[in-house]
Amino acid sequence: MATTSEAVPVRPTRPPRSFRSGALTTLLVLPASLWYLILLVLPLAIVVVMSFGLQGKFGGYAPGFTLDNYASAFERLTPFTTSLILAFAGTILCLLAALPMAYFIATRAGSRKSLFIVLLVVPFWTSFLIRTYAWLTILGPDGLGGFIGDAIGDSSFRILGTPWAVLIGVVYGYLPLMIFPIYVTLERMDRTLVEASKDLGAGRWSTFRQITLPIILPGLITGSILVFIPLMGEYVIPAILGYGRVFLVGNQLVLQFLESRNWPEGAARAVVLILIMLVSIIFYLWFANRGRKTREVSVI
Amino acid sequence: MTDQDLDQTIRRMAQTPLSRRGFLWASGLSASAAFLAACGPGASSSASTAPSAAAPSTEGSEAPSASPSAEAVVVEKELLMYNWGDYVDPDNMKAFQEQFGVEKFTYDTFASNDEMMAKFQGGAKGQWDISAPTANFVPAMRDQGFIQKLDLPHVPNASLIDSAFKKQWWDPTDEWQLPKDWGTTGITLRTKVVKEDVKTWKQFFELAPKYTGKIVVVDSPDDVFVAPLKALGYSLNSADPKELEEARGLLMGLAPHVLALDSDQYNTKIATEEAVMGLTWTGGILELRDDPKTADTVYLIPEDGTVFWMDTWVVLADAPHPNAANAFLNFILTPEVQAKETMTNQYATCSSAAKAFIDPKMLADPAIFVPDDVLAKLEGQKDNSGIKQRAEIYEEFKSKIGQG
Amino acid sequence: MSASAEPKAASGLPAVAGAAGAAGAAEAARRPTPARERFGTLVEGWLRGHTILIYLFLYIPIIVVVIFSFNATNRRVTDWQGFSLKWYASVLSDKVVQSALANSLIVATSTAIISAVFGTMAALGLQRAPKWFRRPFEALTFVSIIVPEIVIALASLVFFSSSFDILNPIFGLKLKLGFPTIIAAHALFNISLVMLLVRARLSGMDRTHVEASYDLFATPWRTFWQITFPQLLPAVVAGFLLSFTFSFDDYVITTFVSGAGSTTLPLYVFGTIRKGVTPATNAVAAVMLLITLTILVVGQLVVARNARRAGGRSAATVAEMITEQSG
Repeated sequence: MATTSEAVPVRPTRPPRSFRSGALTTLLVLPASLWYLILLVLPLAIVVVMSFGLQGKFGGYAPGFTLDNYASAFERLTPFTTSLILAFAGTILCLLAALPMAYFIATRAGSRKSLFIVLLVVPFWTSFLIRTYAWLTILGPDGLGGFIGDAIGDSSFRILGTPWAVLIGVVYGYLPLMIFPIYVTLERMDRTLVEASKDLGAGRWSTFRQITLPIILPGLITGSILVFIPLMGEYVIPAILGYGRVFLVGNQLVLQFLESRNWPEGAARAVVLILIMLVSIIFYLWFANRGRKTREVSVI
Repeated sequence: MTDQDLDQTIRRMAQTPLSRRGFLWASGLSASAAFLAACGPGASSSASTAPSAAAPSTEGSEAPSASPSAEAVVVEKELLMYNWGDYVDPDNMKAFQEQFGVEKFTYDTFASNDEMMAKFQGGAKGQWDISAPTANFVPAMRDQGFIQKLDLPHVPNASLIDSAFKKQWWDPTDEWQLPKDWGTTGITLRTKVVKEDVKTWKQFFELAPKYTGKIVVVDSPDDVFVAPLKALGYSLNSADPKELEEARGLLMGLAPHVLALDSDQYNTKIATEEAVMGLTWTGGILELRDDPKTADTVYLIPEDGTVFWMDTWVVLADAPHPNAANAFLNFILTPEVQAKETMTNQYATCSSAAKAFIDPKMLADPAIFVPDDVLAKLEGQKDNSGIKQRAEIYEEFKSKIGQG
Repeated sequence: MSASAEPKAASGLPAVAGAAGAAGAAEAARRPTPARERFGTLVEGWLRGHTILIYLFLYIPIIVVVIFSFNATNRRVTDWQGFSLKWYASVLSDKVVQSALANSLIVATSTAIISAVFGTMAALGLQRAPKWFRRPFEALTFVSIIVPEIVIALASLVFFSSSFDILNPIFGLKLKLGFPTIIAAHALFNISLVMLLVRARLSGMDRTHVEASYDLFATPWRTFWQITFPQLLPAVVAGFLLSFTFSFDDYVITTFVSGAGSTTLPLYVFGTIRKGVTPATNAVAAVMLLITLTILVVGQLVVARNARRAGGRSAATVAEMITEQSG
């Protein structure tokens, strides 16, 4: 900035704009807003209406008004707590696995960064089902499960059908969701700041805590949200790798909508779930962003 | 017997699940009914089908040999099917396309009846021509207007269906569906490990603690209820709260010993001996029998009875290509085509005319072509989705798998 | 993504490079202790090892999938019956699988493009938006991620069907379920995804370079494309990749809002699980992998060759070189 003061005549700091502020902003948020309005708000309105209705003669929805569905939504809450535990464990594991990796790719991979990043998602361009079935082979009695069982001499040892298999499957499926947000914040970080900090005598940990962490915190928060939330609704991985021995909120909802065909009850349960999660996120964000000075300054 | 009596009898039969005896009795009835229908008043169109019904078999390679009626209509160039995955032999599909000049055969799939039902209940309409739901879903589809009456004059091969599969209570007038194939739910065992002579559901429950952690059960509420209800001697469609409560007791006793609730990979688990006992369908199990490594696998139909399920062909309401649909239905019921379907899918056909073309080894297989005396103990599946107690018990069962 | 190095270089970093060089010299005078150095190498080793392990973790199932695509068995994929290429032959002749794959690619690419564009726009616009708009909008973003798939899938189906029932007779249209409904439903979640990624990237970003650009008389449009967008690019690309991936792999939503003839690959695969998944799907996966990896490797070679041919070095690399030489 010192280079601009002497030689150049003073210019106003607000540049001339070709659009008025408001118009540009509206234009930018319009598409996403329309999407939310038409494809989120309206369908959810349908869900809310359904949640007060009655079960149709052949299942499905029949018009009516009752609060019974909400009453039963608060019963049988065990799957909810099971899902919570799974979501927490999965998020923490993903975090532990993702952070060093994002750091390595962002800072050590050099020009091959993009390749490393794309290689992270290429496995997911195969079918989910056959990937998961591959895990059945790897962890099953013909694979690791049998190998360990023989090694410790326990013929009834099993990896599949336990929470461990589920966690492996979960981390496998959700890792990119954690790596990407951390990576995009880390990658923006100016390495020279880290070097300057070290020059000023700060230790590795101090540098990390005071320079790196604040910069990647938004990535960490976004990543944890992107993993935790969908994980709450997960049910297929536990069904296949967990042998259906873990009954989660997702299982419950699918059971109600598909097999029991009790749409109103499923809808009520979903509404309750959404509200609880929304409130939780708001609290989480408020808590996580407390210390930060988040003055949002528009970059365009 | 007057027309009225006949009507009443049929309606009464429609209320009750039919046993094999019922099949035979009904078939006798249906023969006379057919005759009456053909010769009575208002039977002008059906009279014209009588001659073509007498010459049902068609050679696959001949030009439109389906029926005189089919020649009169123009078969559209496209057919849209909504079916289970991999459920029609690809060679048959190709042959059909060639024979009738159907250039585009779209095959969309669903993974369960519930999914298909939810799709239609959610509002999807006018999308497909033909679908293949399991029979117990047909009444609900009919009453909600998802399917249309069959155009039987244009599907003369429908007469090739064994009368045993007609006048079932999901379609007493046989106007709404055509049987596709049928099968059972039974007990699968690795006799290498399970040395007991298991013959009944009752024994299945009794042996569960001994083989704890080595039992696999399909994740299907209707099939899961078959075991306890039959073990207790009740109807598998029972809605009686007391009976269901007793069934609940048996199921909760079973739950802790179950390894997995799995509709798709149960055969793998049986093959690797992770499970040695199972409440399963025949899918994937028959191959295990033929494989020398797992030849000790046995699929048996319990003596205390079990369910027989039937998949059906239906024509959807607002089907965009009704003529192609009829042509297909007629084609798939020609004996050689049926036989090929049976041999590919390994589920029993509903048309005895096809048996002439089926591998005798398969015909002799009691797991596929169930002998008549066992057939007598099979009960048809009803649509039990509305019974809340069942839904609650199943949810409880599901949540207690492998615990305690 | 290495383009992000350019703006930093462009905005007068010879000064910083000089500082780094000077710092290097200073550091030479203050060598880290042997213990520190060893710890440093340990950390480096651990970082590298961890990354390799995770990549292995990600790819071992893929290797298993490819191996079993050569399985000669007729049904159970994991029951090895000998080596065979027949499933590849089957895939090449199976129109149903090919059509499913094509559908998946069309849907996923469209979704990814829509989500990347609209999500980025929304992230940028949200910075300028007043609080009364921002808060509800953010809440909706989270709701779109919170809603369980089965719920939004079914609700979208009901919504689409009802809307079409109303709109078609009035406007004489023939709207129905198909690609547009699938893409629209997929884009919902993915727009939020891209938006969150770009927002994370934007956070803490200041207007320094933007202001500098304006000071140098650049127009807002040019400033955006030459200064701001390159800095956002990694997040946009990451969002595009993730959106593509989710859309490609989605089952539940696609099941409910798809119409006739829009069966995607996941739908096809799930449809065959009752009969038994054959190695045909493994073969399809292997083919997809082959194509993707080929593109990647070729792309990487091309980029590397261009970089060498251009002969240009970024200021940052120069700085590194100076540091290394003096250190």
